[in-house]
Amino acid sequence: MDDEYRDNPLMPPYEDEQKKLNRRNFIAGSAAFVTALAATGAALSPLLEAEEIPTVDDFLQKHYKQLSTDEKTTIFQKLEAQIERDYGVQPNISDPQPMDGSEFVYVLNIGRCIGCRKCVYACMKENNTSRDPQIQYIRVLKVKQGAIDLETSSHTYPEKEAADERYYYMPVQCQQCRKPPCIKVCPVKATWKEKDGLVVVDYNWCIGCRYCEAACPYHARRFNFSKTTLPAEDINPDMGYLSNRIRPLGVMEKCTFCLHRTRVGLYPACHDACPTGARKFGNLRDPNSEVRKILERERVFVLKQEIGTLPKFYYVFAK
Amino acid sequence: MQSYSTTTRWWLFFTIPLFILLSVYFVFLYYTSDAVAEKRRPDLLHPDWYVIDTARGEIRQNTSIVGNCHICHAFWVPIPQTTETSNPRFAHANLQLNHGKNDRCYNCHMITDRNMYVADDGSAIMSETPEKMCSRCHGLIYSDWQAGTHGKWTGTYMPATPFERLTYTCTECHDPHNPLFKYSKIAPPPVWPEKYIRTENQGIHLGPLSKILIGEEPEEIF
Repeated sequence: MDDEYRDNPLMPPYEDEQKKLNRRNFIAGSAAFVTALAATGAALSPLLEAEEIPTVDDFLQKHYKQLSTDEKTTIFQKLEAQIERDYGVQPNISDPQPMDGSEFVYVLNIGRCIGCRKCVYACMKENNTSRDPQIQYIRVLKVKQGAIDLETSSHTYPEKEAADERYYYMPVQCQQCRKPPCIKVCPVKATWKEKDGLVVVDYNWCIGCRYCEAACPYHARRFNFSKTTLPAEDINPDMGYLSNRIRPLGVMEKCTFCLHRTRVGLYPACHDACPTGARKFGNLRDPNSEVRKILERERVFVLKQEIGTLPKFYYVFAK
Repeated sequence: MQSYSTTTRWWLFFTIPLFILLSVYFVFLYYTSDAVAEKRRPDLLHPDWYVIDTARGEIRQNTSIVGNCHICHAFWVPIPQTTETSNPRFAHANLQLNHGKNDRCYNCHMITDRNMYVADDGSAIMSETPEKMCSRCHGLIYSDWQAGTHGKWTGTYMPATPFERLTYTCTECHDPHNPLFKYSKIAPPPVWPEKYIRTENQGIHLGPLSKILIGEEPEEIF
């Protein structure tokens, strides 16, 4: 009776048979193992198509403020080689340090701005921002004359609506606040204020959480949702480590007043491209600078004064 | 057995091609999705959008009259007896005089030597320094221009020598006959994804049923 039961394959096995490794259990177990392995591989397969996989050195790289000069040289050479491999252009990555006794200030004369958006594209050319999806640091708002009503403003007006006398045009970019809300919220301190007042980002330290984008009241920060696409002819090879080097995937970027230009004495790119002279840039602590004279003589205002960010980007309605 | 004959399975003629077409459609959808489709190479920026120029740069090359005025206005051409001449004629017909009250040629141009501008006392101003002539009326702006708060400067902001800084005079940005800016190199709007663009308030409620459901929306908010 008992043997008949054991020989019948349709009957359920005894408990002692279940624990034993017989042929039936081995085949079933190995099939389950292979299936689980295949499912794990299928779940991890998108890693094969990842655009950027960091190396061990990238993981172990220290914060920008803790880097020594030798480590910076090594990192810059590695970044240059990487950019040359990806984009086919030999860049020159520099790291100009803030000058003593300098505080950079922008003054924009709204009465002169005609909304031609040349500053926007000069900034894109200078700062190597992504073309597709397009990243622009400056938004030129078209605002109705009579009030500063940003609710009804538009920055997507077509070309034929520029230089309209019923509107005025207000370019908005990073205001380089003296009390920047964006650096308060950064959980890893990847963005900070330099000695000359410029708010910068260490792109290798940023984890891409986008808290700073949410904290910025001027919508001045941009996120690299995909790998930067840039034609080789449009790349500006003079790059700064903290400003306009080609950003990796998944980090924040922002206007730095063209730090690689202004710290060596040049004007920012948007300043030079403005055809009407509406933009004025200079050192606030230099008593002979243009911005100092404007701030002394004219009635200036800042955007969203009531939130207490103390911007260093002033607007003026002078003639 | 009669129910499984080929004559009763006529619907397979429609369903099998339908499923093949559906599979082709799904494969097509996969390869045309944003994640998989090959990216088009982005266009280069047009040089007009970022070159360094002034608001009058291109217009001046075409419409301004350059050269020696003595070619026409020689000593045998009679000097007009009145200074009330306000209609540019002959070679100057393409000039549009739109400078407010200042609508007399010899307010600025010297009547005896057309290569020069005229000062308040009737003496000559060289054509290379038009700002001295403009400062006769626009004195405040002239002082602003001297201080650097008016007008376009390029170069360096802390120059060691004056030659490192490039400044522009009045007529390089303004047409003196029609001083309002007429700049035509306007750059296009951004092409960000639609969901990131904050549109104007006008047009949000412009649906086919909006007039019935929420009524007419006022054109102007303020």
